[in-house]
Parts: sequence; structure tokens; C-alpha cells
Amino acid sequence: MADDIDIRIRVNGLPRRATVPPRLTLADFLRVNCGLTGTHLGCEHGVCGACTVLLDREAVRACLVFAVQADGSDVTTVEGIASPDGELSVVQAAFREHHGLQCGFCTPGFVVSVTAFLAENPKPTDEEIRAALSGNLCRCTGYQGIVNAVRAAADREDSV
Amino acid sequence: MAPYTGTRTPRVEDPRLLTGTGTYVDDVVRPGMLHACFVRSPVARARIAAIDVSEALRLDGVHAVFVAQDLNSGVHEQWYTLNGPEDPDTPRPPLAADEVRFVGDPVAMVVAVDRYRAEDAAELVVVDYDELPPVVDYATALESTESVHATHPGNLVGELAGRPMEELAPVFEDAPHVVGVTIRQQAYCPVPLETRGIVAEWSAPAGEMTVWAATQSPHEVRSFCARLLGVDEHRVRVVMRDTGGGFGQKVLPQREDMCVLLAAAKLPAALKWIEDRQEHLMAAGQARHEHGEARLALDDEGRILAATLDHVQDAGAYPTPSPVQSGLAVGLLFPGPYRIPQGTFRSRFVFSNTSGRVAYRGPWQFESMAREVLLDTAARRIGMDPVELRRRNMLRREDLPTANFNGMPYDHITPYETFEQALEMLDCPAFRREQEQARAQGRYLGLGTCTYVEPTAGATPFHGTEGATIRIEPSGKVNVYVAGGSCGNSLETTVVQLTADALGAAIEDVSTIQGDTALTPYGAGTGGSRSGPMTAGAIAETAAGLRDRILAIAGHRLEVAVEKLELTGSRASVTGDPEKSLTLAEIADIAYFQPHAMPPGVPAGLEASGRYRSPHLMIWANATHLCTCEVDIVTGGVKLLRYIVSEDCGPMINPSVVEGQIYGGTVQGIGGALYEHLAYDEDGNPLATTFMDYLLPTATEVPVIELGHIETPSPGPGGHKGVGEGGAIGSAPAIVNAVADALAPLGVEIGRLPLTPASIVELVEQAGVMTP
Amino acid sequence: MKPAAFEYHAPTSAEETVALLAELGDEGKTIAGGQSLVPMLALRLATFGHLVDLRRVHELRGIEQRDGTVRIGATTTQATLQRSEDIRDLVPLLARATPLIGHFQIRSRGTVGGSLAHADAAAEYPAVALTLDAELEALSVRGRRTIPAARFLTGTWTTALAEDELLTAVTFPVWRRPRGFAIEEFARRSGDFALAGAAVAVGLDAGGRVDRCAIGLFGLGPSACRAHTAEAGTMGREPAEDMADDIGRQALADLDSIPSDLHGSAGYRKRVGAAMVARAWRRAVREAVHG
Repeated sequence: MADDIDIRIRVNGLPRRATVPPRLTLADFLRVNCGLTGTHLGCEHGVCGACTVLLDREAVRACLVFAVQADGSDVTTVEGIASPDGELSVVQAAFREHHGLQCGFCTPGFVVSVTAFLAENPKPTDEEIRAALSGNLCRCTGYQGIVNAVRAAADREDSV
Repeated sequence: MAPYTGTRTPRVEDPRLLTGTGTYVDDVVRPGMLHACFVRSPVARARIAAIDVSEALRLDGVHAVFVAQDLNSGVHEQWYTLNGPEDPDTPRPPLAADEVRFVGDPVAMVVAVDRYRAEDAAELVVVDYDELPPVVDYATALESTESVHATHPGNLVGELAGRPMEELAPVFEDAPHVVGVTIRQQAYCPVPLETRGIVAEWSAPAGEMTVWAATQSPHEVRSFCARLLGVDEHRVRVVMRDTGGGFGQKVLPQREDMCVLLAAAKLPAALKWIEDRQEHLMAAGQARHEHGEARLALDDEGRILAATLDHVQDAGAYPTPSPVQSGLAVGLLFPGPYRIPQGTFRSRFVFSNTSGRVAYRGPWQFESMAREVLLDTAARRIGMDPVELRRRNMLRREDLPTANFNGMPYDHITPYETFEQALEMLDCPAFRREQEQARAQGRYLGLGTCTYVEPTAGATPFHGTEGATIRIEPSGKVNVYVAGGSCGNSLETTVVQLTADALGAAIEDVSTIQGDTALTPYGAGTGGSRSGPMTAGAIAETAAGLRDRILAIAGHRLEVAVEKLELTGSRASVTGDPEKSLTLAEIADIAYFQPHAMPPGVPAGLEASGRYRSPHLMIWANATHLCTCEVDIVTGGVKLLRYIVSEDCGPMINPSVVEGQIYGGTVQGIGGALYEHLAYDEDGNPLATTFMDYLLPTATEVPVIELGHIETPSPGPGGHKGVGEGGAIGSAPAIVNAVADALAPLGVEIGRLPLTPASIVELVEQAGVMTP
Repeated sequence: MKPAAFEYHAPTSAEETVALLAELGDEGKTIAGGQSLVPMLALRLATFGHLVDLRRVHELRGIEQRDGTVRIGATTTQATLQRSEDIRDLVPLLARATPLIGHFQIRSRGTVGGSLAHADAAAEYPAVALTLDAELEALSVRGRRTIPAARFLTGTWTTALAEDELLTAVTFPVWRRPRGFAIEEFARRSGDFALAGAAVAVGLDAGGRVDRCAIGLFGLGPSACRAHTAEAGTMGREPAEDMADDIGRQALADLDSIPSDLHGSAGYRKRVGAAMVARAWRRAVREAVHG
């Protein structure tokens, strides 16, 4: 069995230290070691996007990163998107207002992806929105409410 | 007055789901919990010669490795409440005992300290297989000399039929036009984004089992578990909070669930199994795999004289449950919303060495696929616009009530209205002009429709009743308890809306508890598009008595007649004198703590249970799907241009929820028509076991979906109709028809699905068009 | 779906990395972004005793201009390339290929070197490197060498890199104007690997005739390849959009190992490949002529 490795990762602003096997994915580290079960596993091979988190502010698939590779990094999960008092972020509120979620399983990945996308491209075209969303699979909403939510969040962030 | 029903009330589920604080089965952690991983067959059919688990057991962190001999004999009773004990069922052993019957068939179950170690150990289990010739293609399985199950030589699970086909022969012989098509639909996989999963924890001293499951029906899981283990039903508790999509796939526990339940009773700690995506695509089940020969006899004016369907469906190796009873709906519904004086059907259900059939959103969808493709083909062959053919034959309001040629009684439906509304939303004549201009430029545009009627909230023994308990707490806050099983169906929001209205409570005062068999009334869960009408019935039944009590207490205290009171915003006030009022909290305080102040004959407390029994065999809903597309005949790519659904689900409880159900179902049908294919090679190897090959539509493949509503109340509670499944019924046939319409000038007819780019190019090439 | 166990190394210099690779032999595998490797590990299609992570080898990252070329460090991410104005101006074909790779969450980890070294037959970067005659730099304890893209891609998921060699950078020549570039691909869904794809680069002389032409094909063989005969046929000619279909047909004519799978037969891919070449040719020529 391979040697475990010491890592330090800042998760949602909190420093975490752990000793982990190298093969432990960042997704499993967050879910099991940190108890942050909002990061969901929908395929574990990098297609569905349910496990998307921010790694040093960039959206990544947490199933395609080993926890040891995130040593020294900053990670934001869906649990770190709303404000500490529970107020939903602009993106989260827009998803709620526009029925952008049903079963909620894919939702954390969408919320994190859209948060990263709008940070980089605050005034997207509709086509850019759909392209950005194409890295996350949803089986419930038919994407209609999600596209509308992102449009609304972008328009709202724009006006601020 | 109903201030909440009919409004876009924001969902009560959302705050937890948007912040990652929901509780799905994989989020459940128990002390010392162990993890399961299945060893699965790599071949489609083989005799198991030997299994050697010794090396796996030697691995650090491995607790146990179970094979069939360890688990299968533990089965006491095995049947689903949905079907009852008397229905003929198909084989369903927990682990494969003597023979493996599809790639993915579970042969052994490893239990280890975590999933990583369990997978390491699974690789070390050595199974010797003596390969046998597999029966891969269900369509030829009836003629095969090989049998998937020795108990079923010829591989026939069962057969159902209407009146004998021969009786229709004279009509077809004499008809001016006879059109026949054979449609072959591919296997889909329901693919909820959350895979299957279960945690089972046995308490030996108490003789109690606690189960956390990803399920649409916690009470079905509980009853099933109790029978399986021979434990009393009240010793089993099943909990589900959030389930990540079901779509029919999660209505019933399957073989892996049986293994976990049986093994948990032998283990010192809870056992968790979370299916991975590869297992899901190999073994969680298939749907929609069937074909049919559909025939239509028409008169000179294009009026339908008769229709028949000869239908064959793939059951896979281990269907859940037996497909025969639910498969009957394909034939019964085949006539759809058309005036068809006579007709019949035959359905055969056939085993194959592939993943077993499971329920999937509109399990009878093939009736629409066969009928609607047949209608378009017929229209083209007799030189009539498919729109016109439908107008001449579709049921109109004045035809109702009526029954189709199989005796299905239709009423409260509006197929013709939805059809015309969808065409008007499109501006059909404008599209036909655009299509003609495009054709002149060598571009291929098409229009397709599908109109269907759908039975919802069917009153089978399991589904025909539903319970609710409402407890108004001493503080005046309201808790409503229903069985639950919501997998994205927004059932919590729905129940809160309905209860607030039924009690005149402010919506923020109402909460709901669902999905825990220890707390909630018994109920069948989500499935069969039943939750809207059935919970509306349960809540109305339960709230009515409570409302009377509330008003009686208030009238007594305020010294006014009950008729003079109105109940709204959690307050009972005297009509015309709003100053004179009592809050729900004040009334509850009387009910619980001031029994002396109660009016005579009114019981103390404010808690009630009720159970709605549906007097309706089913509640009909209906819709028309319409889409336009452009086909690139060089690449075979299909671009959907406009997508319109006009539906009638009666008065909506929450328009956002209704629309979400329609959108989601529609996109599953888009996936089925164009992308998804649970394919096997000729040796029975699955070819789509990852999301790189099983292609779900993404936001870039899906057009804007436009909705139109026609509202005809049903005779059921609140006039509501079910709306969960319809989207997934109407969409694939509409798309197939649109593509066929686009390619019609090339002489193309479609008989095989899905419409992949490669298959479209093949059709175009076969039609003899020069390739550029 | 969990990977098998491995030992983990995170060296801090290229020198240290190649020493490790020399020591580990076929037990060692470098990991950069891991966007192709980790799925294979998760599915246990591949197992390695040791993973050598390049994340701390900072010298492998960055984009720099050098005498008419652009040199890109191997672990520079696809997202970085997508944001780079230099890449957009100097190597437009690379810039246009980048958004076609997977999805943005993949490109934030995926690296240029990883994509080249993985050498998937349907991937965009190997085809772009081949089309633009890029040069790849490899380092080992035995020394440093430069490998032309044409010799780098050797077959299905195989390259000229030796077991102990580390891909450190790729250098793209900057084409002088007037020139035009285009990349076209057809995939089942956006972000999927292409069923067939083509990259076209066209340079014109002072008289407006083709003096440089490169056509790269991907998804159409064991690895990306060039359509040399079709390229040669365009030399010295006035570029016309109506040559496109002929060029497309010619480009695909000699291919004899086009893959076939669930998503399309070899014949289908050939047809689509020809159409992609034609479409790319039209766009590249339009750009070369009209700027």
C-alpha cells in the first residue's frame, strides 16, 4: 500500500490538515474527510460536472483531481457559496427564482460552475451561457430554468 | 379562496439543495459503516464453474465476500407491493448462482472498510466462467434454441392481446389505403444523476432494520425488506430525504438492494452500497427497447378505418418487475386520441441476456411512437399533409366521453385543442413556406408532432389510496406528513401549498415531513404521475375535518356562528369584522391546553389523519408536442429549431413545477430520439458504460421549449391531473416525425432509432441521393 | 469507480523529475492536469505504481515569444492559452482549437503538454501541432532533444517520447501574413471528442497564390495526420472556396485506418472528415484573402 501524504488545504476559508492516501480524490476528501457532502459524485469520470468545485478560484472536476494535488490550495465548495448567515448568492437565488433545480443532485456543480463562469464572463451572450453550461449534466430540468437563471443572474450582477 | 394553489410558490426544497446541505443516501454516515462493491460478470452468459474469494479476503480492510450460497437462501419472500403476491413474476435471485445472464450480473459482493479497498478486493475475486452462447437480440430470441432462463424455453416472458388480428383482415382487405410500418426503438437507460444507493443497518438485539435508500417509494422498500428478511414490517424503518432523480428507475428495490439487506443482517455495522456510473449503465436496467409492426386502414378521405399493432418488447435478463402487466398499456393506449372504429394489438415480452427492463417515465411510450410515426408515414404515402390527416381523425370535444377500441374510457381531455394551439404557436403555414424555400436552397427543414392521451393517478390497489396526517402544533405551526418519495418532483412544495390553502394557513407557517416510514402515513410514493392528484386528495380529506374543528373552536370563543367565520392567513376572523379574530396559535392553545374552553363534542388537540380513496380508474391528461428541425444531410446532424408543448393537466398547483416536469420529460425524449443508446455488441457486451458513450443531452443540444396550456378540470381532487411522465412520452415521436418530414423529399422513411448522425446519413445514402 | 493505489511524487524541478522517471521506468507516469489520465485510473483501465506530479515544476509553465516562434511550457493550462492575447494573435489556430476541448472545467486543469503526450487520435492539440509543424522539447537524464510534431505522434495513444523522457515545451512557428487558419470538427454533442475534424492553415504569396498549405486531420486514424497530397495540390494556385469539396475528398482519399464505433462507421467518418476539410478550407481561405 502506498504511503499516505500530509496535505494542507484551505476549504471554504477553513484550513484543513490531513494525511491521505495519494489515490483519494479531492471529491472524496471533501465528502468524507471534511464532511462537506454538497459536492456530489454523478459519474466519477469527469463528464457530469456534479462534483465541480473552485480550486484556486477556477472551476474543476473534483473527481479528476487527487487531494494530494490540491495541497497548498484554496478550495471553495457549494457550501461556501452562500453568505455565512445563509443568504443565497445571486446565482443561487436566481436558480431558485427560475426553477433551475428539481432533484438537486446536479445543482451544486451548476452553482459552482456558473459562479466561476460569471466571474470570468460577467456579460455573456445566450450562446456563451449554453456553452458554459454544457459541462454539467442535468436530468430533471431540461436546462430551461437553468439557462434562464444564469441569464437573470448575469443581468442582475451587471446592473450592480 | 386558494391563495397558494396555482401560484409559482418558491420551492421549500431549494435552500438546502442550493447550498449543498441536502441529504442524499451517499451523505449518510453511520458508526463503523462498511462499504460494498459487487463483482460482476464480464460475459453475457456463462455457467459459473468456480469462485475463489481467498485472495480477496486476505486483503487488509476486507470484512467479507459474499457469494450466492451465502445470501440467496436468506430470502424469505420476494414480491413487490406494486404487483401483489399473485402476479406471475420473473426470476430475481440476489446473486447469480449457477449461471450469469448479462454483462454486469452480480456474482459476489465484497464488504470492506471503504469503497477503494472494496474495489481492490473485487479485482482479486477469481471467477471461472464456462461461456454459453448468449441470447443478445430479443427480436430473434423467440426463435432461439438457447434460453436465458431454463424455466422459459423460447424466452417468452408472456403475451397479451386484444381481439384476434384475423378479425380485422376484411377491413384491411377492403380499405382504399393500407399503410404499414415497422419501428424499432433502441434501449434507453433512465439515468438519474444520482445512481442507485442504499445503507442498511441491522440491530440484532432489537431485531430491527434501518434503511436509508435512494427511492421513489420508501414504504415499498420497507415492505419488501420485511418480506425478504422475514422481519415484521414495523421492525423495519426506511428513510429517504433527498433522492437525486428517479424517473421510474427507483420505484422498486432490485437485486443489489436485496444483497445489501441480506448481508447487513449478518454484519456488525451498517453497510453502504453506492452504485457507480459504470455499474448503473451496465446493471441498473434498460427501458424503451421494443419494436412493433403498426398498420392502418384508411378510406379515400383519409379517415381511419382500423389500426393494429404487433408489438415485441425486450425484458432483458432480470426485469423489475415482470414487464407483462405494465406492458399491457402499450397495446391499450395505441389508439391514442383518434377516432379509430376498430383495431387490435398483440404484445410479446421476451427475455435476452442484457440488462433487465425497469420502469421509465411513461413506460408505455411506444404506443405513441408507433402510432404517430405510422400517421405521418400514412399521410405521406397517400399524399396528404400529416397535419390534415390528424385534423380529420382526432377526437374533438363533441366526441367525448368515448372509449377507444380497446375499451379505455376517455373523458375530460382536449387533444384537438392542444394540437391546434401548438400549430398556432408555431404559425404552421409560415413554417411550411419557410420549409419550401429552404428546400429550394438544398436545406432540409422538418415539422413533426405527437398528440397523446395519458392515464395518470391510476387506481391500482397500491396506488389507489393515499394518506396524510396534519398536526397543528400548540404554537399554531403546521406540519403535514405524507409518505413522500420525491425525487425532484417538488412534492414538499406541493404539499405545503395544498395544506396552507386547505387550512387557511399562511404558507410560511406550514412545513412538511416526508420520506420516513416511521413517521409518515403509509403511501405508495412517486410514480405513475400520481402525486399531484393523490396528495391533493389526501390533504383535502384530512384538512377538511381539521378545518371544521378550528372554526368550531374559534366560533365558540368569539361567540359567532361558524358560517360567519373566514379562515385565511393563519387567522379565523369574523366576516366583515376583521378586528374580531383569533390566530391559529390562539386556537391551537385552546385545543391543547384549555380543554374546558372547547366547544362541546369537539375533540382536544389539532391533529388528524385521513386517507383518500380514488374512485377514478385513472385521470386522463393529454398533450401535443411539436418540433421543427433542420437536418444537415452531409453530417447527419439534427438541429432542433423550435419546440412547442401544448398540454392539459387541469388546474396547475404550481406552474413552475408543472413546467419543470414537462421540460425535463421532453428533454429525456430529445435524448432518446437523438443521443441515448444503451447499445450491446453481438456478443452481449455493453458499448455505452460511461458518460462518454451514453450521451445525455446538454444545454447546447436543447432548444428553448415553449409551452401552451389548455385547462380542463379532471373529475379528481381539485381537478388536477398528473403531469410527471407526459413530457417523456410525446417528445421522441415528435422529433422522429420532424426528421422524417425534413428528409421526405429524399424518399427517406425512418424505421430504426435512435436518429444518430451516422444513421441519418445511412438513410440518406440508401435513399440514393448523391453525396457531395 | 476508484483508482488503484499508487505512490505519489511531486518533484520541484524538471531535473528532479527526469531523474525520478529514469529511476521508476515503466512503473512511473507523469501527471499534469490529469483530465485524461484520472478517468482512466478511476475506471482502472490503466494502473501505475507511481505518479509523478508536475504541479510544483514551475519552469514548465508559461508562454514566451522567441525569434518568430511561440514557446509554450508543457504544463501551461488550456484555460491560460484561451485567455492569452499572444496566442490569439500569433497562433490563431491554437486559440481557435482550445474552446473545442472538453468543457471549461476541463480546460482549467488540462494542459497543452498533457494533451500532446496523451495523443488521443481525436484530440485537437496534436492535430494543431502537426498542422503548424510545431516542435516538441523532451528532456531526460540522457539530455534534451527536439522532436518535430510529425515524428512525435506515432500511433494510438503513443508518441516518440521514451519512458524516461519528459515533455517540457512545444514551440509553434508564427506564420507571416497573409494567412488563414480554421479548425472544424463534428462531435455528437458540444465538448465531445470529434467524430472527425480538420485543421487548415493557408499562406499566400505576394501574388495571392498559395505558397504554404497544411491540412491536419483528427479522429480519422490511429493518430492525427496530415493530408500531404491534398496540400501539395493547392500549392501555387489561387485559393478559391469552390476548390473545397475536391480538397476534402482528396484529403480523405488515402486514409485506410479510419476508426469505427458506436457513434459512426469508418465510411461515415470519411464523409464527415471530407466535409470538415472543405468547411475549414473555405474559412481559412476567406481569412487569408480578406484578412
